[in-house]
Amino acid sequence: MNQDIILDVKDLNAWFGNFHAVKSISKSYKKNTINAIIGPSGCGKSTYLRCLNRIHEEVPGAKVSGEAIIDGQNIFDPKADPVEVRRKIGMVFQKPNPFPAMSIYENVVIGLKLQGIKKKSFLLEQAENCLRKAALWDEVKDKLNKDGMSLSGGQQQRLCIARTLAVNPPVVLMDEPTSALDPIASAKIEDLMSELKKEYTVIVVTHNMQQAARISDYTSFFVLGELIEHNLSSEIFTRPKMKQTEDYITGRFG
Amino acid sequence: MRSPETYFKIRKLKNSLFHLVVLISAICVMAPLFIVVAFLLQKGASGFNLDFFTNIPKPVGEIGGGMKHAIIGTMIMVSLASLIAIPIGLLGGIFLSEFGKGKIATLLRFATDLLTGVPSIVIGIFGYLLVVIPFKSFSALAGALSLSLIILPIVIRSTEEILKLIPNHYREAGLALGLPRWKMILFIIVKGHLSQLFTGIILAISRAAGETAPLLFTAFGSLYLSYNVKAPMASLPVQIYNYAISPYKDWQSQAWTGAFVLITLVLGLNLFARTVFGIKKLRRK
Ligand SMILES: Nc1ncnc2c1ncn2[C@@H]1O[C@H](COP(=O)(O)OP(=O)(O)O)[C@@H](O)[C@H]1O
Ligand SMILES: [Mg+2]
Repeated sequence: MNQDIILDVKDLNAWFGNFHAVKSISKSYKKNTINAIIGPSGCGKSTYLRCLNRIHEEVPGAKVSGEAIIDGQNIFDPKADPVEVRRKIGMVFQKPNPFPAMSIYENVVIGLKLQGIKKKSFLLEQAENCLRKAALWDEVKDKLNKDGMSLSGGQQQRLCIARTLAVNPPVVLMDEPTSALDPIASAKIEDLMSELKKEYTVIVVTHNMQQAARISDYTSFFVLGELIEHNLSSEIFTRPKMKQTEDYITGRFG
Repeated sequence: MRSPETYFKIRKLKNSLFHLVVLISAICVMAPLFIVVAFLLQKGASGFNLDFFTNIPKPVGEIGGGMKHAIIGTMIMVSLASLIAIPIGLLGGIFLSEFGKGKIATLLRFATDLLTGVPSIVIGIFGYLLVVIPFKSFSALAGALSLSLIILPIVIRSTEEILKLIPNHYREAGLALGLPRWKMILFIIVKGHLSQLFTGIILAISRAAGETAPLLFTAFGSLYLSYNVKAPMASLPVQIYNYAISPYKDWQSQAWTGAFVLITLVLGLNLFARTVFGIKKLRRK
C-alpha cells in the first residue's frame, strides 16, 4: 500500500432507514492534504463525512456498509471501537458549539482531561499549543477562564477546532466549518486550515467553490450520494472532465 | 351590506372582548395566591418573632413556645428525602432522555407519570406499610421515604425534559472527541446544564417541604426537638395542622405564623430556583 495514504475509503454506502444517502464511494486520502467535498445540498456530503468517524450511526435507523481503512484497520470492523476511531478521526461541526458552562481553557482540554490526563502543566501547554494552531491564542490568552460561549461566532468555531486538535487526531473532518460565519471570520479559518495540513489531513465539506479552490489540494464532487468526479483541485476547477461538474462549478446547476 | 368600517369595528370589539376574558382568567389564577399571602401576613405576622424560631412548644395551657422543633424536623426529613430521591431521579431522567427508547423506558415514563398523580395521602400509606409497620414505630425515616416519593417523579421528568432540549450536536461533538458515551453524557451534557437541572430539583424540594399528608402517619409529629430519625419527628405542615385544629387560641395563632413561615419558605425556594438559576439559563441561550 502507498505509504502516503492515510485513509482509504472503499465502497462506502450509507442509509437512513431505506433511503440510500451515500452510494458506493471509494476514495483514498493522502497524508497532509486538504480534501474538499463539494456538491448540491442534500447530496450526502455531511452523511459521508459523518460515516468516517462513525457519528452517522448515532442517528436512529442509520446504516453503513463498506470499508474505511486507517492504520491498517477498517473502522467499520465489528471489532473496531468507535471511541478509538474518533480519536484518530476528529470532527468540526457546521455550527460552532463550544460546550456550555465551560471556560475557553476547559473547552480545549476537555477531551484530554476526560481521557484521564491530569497533569496541569501538560494540559496548559497543550491548550496553548492548540489555540495557537487554531489561530486563537492571541485573542484569548488573557481570558482563558472566560466562558467559551462569550466569544464571537468565528472565535467559537476556532475554539472548536482547537478542541478537536487537542486530542490529536491525524485526520480532521470539517462539515461546512465557515458557513455560519461572516467573510472575515471565514478567511481566518481558511488561513489556519492551510497551516493545519502540515500536521493533519483535512477533509472539508464546503458549499463555497472559491473556498474549495483556494484551500484544497483535491476536490470531490458529489451528486445524489454519488462521487461524480474527483481530482486535483487545480484540475477540477479549471478543466472538469464531467459535464455535471462543469455545470455545477460554473453555477448552472446546484 | 355592511361597510368595511363596521367589519373592522366588530373585529376590534371581538379582539378586546377576548383580551378581557384572558385578563380575567389571569387574575383568577393569581388572586388566590395574593389573597393567601396577604391573609397569612395579617394573621401570622403578629407571632413572627425570634421565639417562634428558637423555642419548642410549651406544655398545654402555658402561653408561648415556638416551632423550632418542627422547622428542624422539616429540614431533616426534606434533606433525607432529597438524599434518596435526587440521585435516583437524576439517573432516571438521564436514562429516559439519553437511552429512553425501549420498553423499560416506556414503562418508567408511565410509572413516573402515575407516581406524580398518586394522592399524597396514599404515598403516606405506602410509607406506613413499608417502614412504620415493620419497625413498629412512627419515624422520621418513614416520613423522609414518603417525601422522597413526592420528589422522585418531579426530578425524573424535569431532568428528562431539560436534557431533551439540549441540541444533539453537543452530544455528537462530545463523541467526536473520542469520549465514551457515559463520559460525554455526565461531563458534557449533564455538567454543562447543572443550573437548569438544579431548578427542577429545587422546585421538587419545595413541593415536598409543604406536604402534610405523606407525614401524617409516617413521621406522625412530635412536640419535642428530636434528631433521631428512628423516632417520630415534627414537621412544619403537620405542626400547623395539629395546632390549627386545636381548641387553644395561642396554638391557633402559632399555626398562622407557621403557615406564614412555610409559605415564605416554599415561595422563597421557588423564586430562588426561577431567578438565580433561571437567569443563567437565559444568558446561555
Ligand atoms: N437524520 C436523517 N434522517 C433521514 N434522512 C436524512 C437525515 N439526515 C439527512 N438525510 C437525508 O440524506 C440526504 C443527504 O443529506 P446530507 O448528507 O445532510 O446532505 P448535504 O450535507 O450534502 O447537504 C438528504 O436527502 C437528506 O434529506
Ligand atoms: Mg451538510
